[in-house]
Amino acid sequence: MSSELNKNNLNTAMPVIAASYIGPALTPNRDALWEESHLPLNTDGLVNEIMGQPMRRAGRFIKMVCCGGLACLQKVSLDYLKGKRTGIFLATGLGNVDEIMPFITQVFKHGGGFPSPNQFANSVSNAAAFVLARICEVTGTVLTISQEELSFESALWLAQSYLESGEIELALVGGCDIFTPTVEEYRERVNLTPGNFRAMKMGEGSSWLLLGKDEKEKTGDILAVDFDDQLLRLEDFSKSEDILTKCEKLISVSLHQDSARQNKSRVFLPGFRLGKIETAFWKQKGWEIDDYLPCCGIHSTAAAFGIARALRDGQSSFFVHYNCHASGKQAFVLASTK
Amino acid sequence: MNQGDIYVRGWGAVTTLGWSASESACNLIGGAAPPAAVGKSSHLVSREFKAFEVSYSGNPLEKSMAMLDSALAEAFAHAELTTDEIAESSVLVGTTGGLFIRNEYEFTEAVRNNPDRKSPAISCRNRGAGEVADLIVNQYGIKGMSLTFSMACVSSSHALVVAADLIKREKIRRAIVVGFDPLLNMTLHGFASLLLFDYDQCRPFCVTRAGMQIGEAAAVVILDADKSSSAKYKFSGGYQYNDIKSMTSAGIDGVTVSKVVEQTLTSARVSPADVVAVKAHGTGTRDNDLSEGRGLVKLFGEKLPPVVSLKGAIGHTLGAAGAAETAVWLSCLDAGAIPRSFGFTEVDPEIGFAPLQANVKARDGAYLFTYFGFGGTCTSYLIIKES
Repeated sequence: MSSELNKNNLNTAMPVIAASYIGPALTPNRDALWEESHLPLNTDGLVNEIMGQPMRRAGRFIKMVCCGGLACLQKVSLDYLKGKRTGIFLATGLGNVDEIMPFITQVFKHGGGFPSPNQFANSVSNAAAFVLARICEVTGTVLTISQEELSFESALWLAQSYLESGEIELALVGGCDIFTPTVEEYRERVNLTPGNFRAMKMGEGSSWLLLGKDEKEKTGDILAVDFDDQLLRLEDFSKSEDILTKCEKLISVSLHQDSARQNKSRVFLPGFRLGKIETAFWKQKGWEIDDYLPCCGIHSTAAAFGIARALRDGQSSFFVHYNCHASGKQAFVLASTK
Repeated sequence: MNQGDIYVRGWGAVTTLGWSASESACNLIGGAAPPAAVGKSSHLVSREFKAFEVSYSGNPLEKSMAMLDSALAEAFAHAELTTDEIAESSVLVGTTGGLFIRNEYEFTEAVRNNPDRKSPAISCRNRGAGEVADLIVNQYGIKGMSLTFSMACVSSSHALVVAADLIKREKIRRAIVVGFDPLLNMTLHGFASLLLFDYDQCRPFCVTRAGMQIGEAAAVVILDADKSSSAKYKFSGGYQYNDIKSMTSAGIDGVTVSKVVEQTLTSARVSPADVVAVKAHGTGTRDNDLSEGRGLVKLFGEKLPPVVSLKGAIGHTLGAAGAAETAVWLSCLDAGAIPRSFGFTEVDPEIGFAPLQANVKARDGAYLFTYFGFGGTCTSYLIIKES
């Protein structure tokens, strides 16, 4: 067995067939203005735009998951999945809190007399993945993965291992978390404490990638998903030199596999645990910064938004997304656009 | 044993039957499995629900943490893992509620301590299902992957199958698979609202069955690519399937259940005749037991091996069920017995068989485990007992 086993990294390129992002303004694949104080916005317009019909019995989280997943599939159509072994990997830090809270409030308010069965069904953790799988007619691997702020990176890592093994041909991998009042409680749920995040409004999103081998349709590649096995101290979360060294190392491995990528520009995507971004430092080292967070706000799966947006919009570049768990565990995602 | 085998290196569990898997198994085999009782814990707001509660004298949040600690300690000791081996492992957790118990406990305490004030709004301060894995990682300095599956009743059974897949693909070397679900008002009232709760007794596969009863558990099963000197169980044939026909039922014709089990047997290269016994999901709901019973009969025919549901003895432990039932079952096998099924009195003619009604000697061979959960989730796997 390889000595690499405990390094938690996967370096097999995964072609990205489609990418899509929806942020708190609920405008698919566009950066749009939004205000934290006006959140959450009504999803009815989004549902009509993406689904073509209302989803009357579904909660907001389920609607966001389905709209995000289907927006991603718009590029290829649902028929593209037919006959292919497809997996769905839904990442969420907090899940369907929008259904859980009203339900438990009813339980406590009435001593258990009148909670809604529909609300309970919608509050079950994997209800959203089930609804999306039913729409997409996916019957194989359908997983709901939750690992706080590294949920999306964890789901991507897992999807990559299933694709690499050949057990599935396509993977629809997404991250969804929704804004649930109050802002103060939301911040606590995302474990934001002084010094462990970048000052930013809270947000939400549902952002997805379709992965699989299709040279004709592909827009880029996920080249590596890397979880470092060292736990950082809080004061080291934002050390630019250390982060840069790791980013360069990941790119170096990728260039070793395919030197044709040599001329791509380099873009750094900082996750919300990175307290400060030393823009001048990165520029001096030949990197651009894509600070996507003002477009989606802080939420547990904001990484999905940043990565999908870069894959969709990026011009022939390498980009590395970096985030750190509050406990000090680091995750890097290296991708390249075509 | 062949290269590529996956070994069950250790396990531990806290259930209503005891603060260890071995104590739970001892009570189960000895028949000391009382029916569910009205919940005593201070956070439970209604006394109309009977549940399989873990006995404890402190508050429910402390109890939940103690259950988790105890299951981990038992599993690590059983597996004889060193501190370094624990640290290099990966953690896969299956849970539905995570640490939602904290919200319920804090709310009920706030109400209790302020009897003259208007009830406050309940707040949700927990950090999602992934918080449980984070606790374990921090406590044991674990450097491997952390993955949490929040997938209703198959959460930890799916975690076991994914862990085995990752070991097989050499992505991880060892997995600490955890199932964790404390007793919550949310789930008690939720299943009652769906009319799936039996207010009297949990009666898996019985014609008089009327629903499930919830239990609580923390459990750990350690899967390893390397064989330890004492390992005598292999994990094999893990299969997960997503049935998109219904959110709440695996189809009462039994076809889905039969196909899921068949796939497990095929991938493990085990014939139906070689299955020693079935640890069924057996929730006690009308639909689940009909789906599962018919599916098993469809596959095994007249050579149906003994079928056991543990839920009449420990309740439906929801996301913890996969790890908890596996751990208790393995301790029963270690004690030399396949345990009988509790809560049954009369055959349902639509199912056509009775679950095992007396303990039998556990022999070497393949033991089948099945789980069918909310959201169309199906899990099935085999554990092979060898001398």
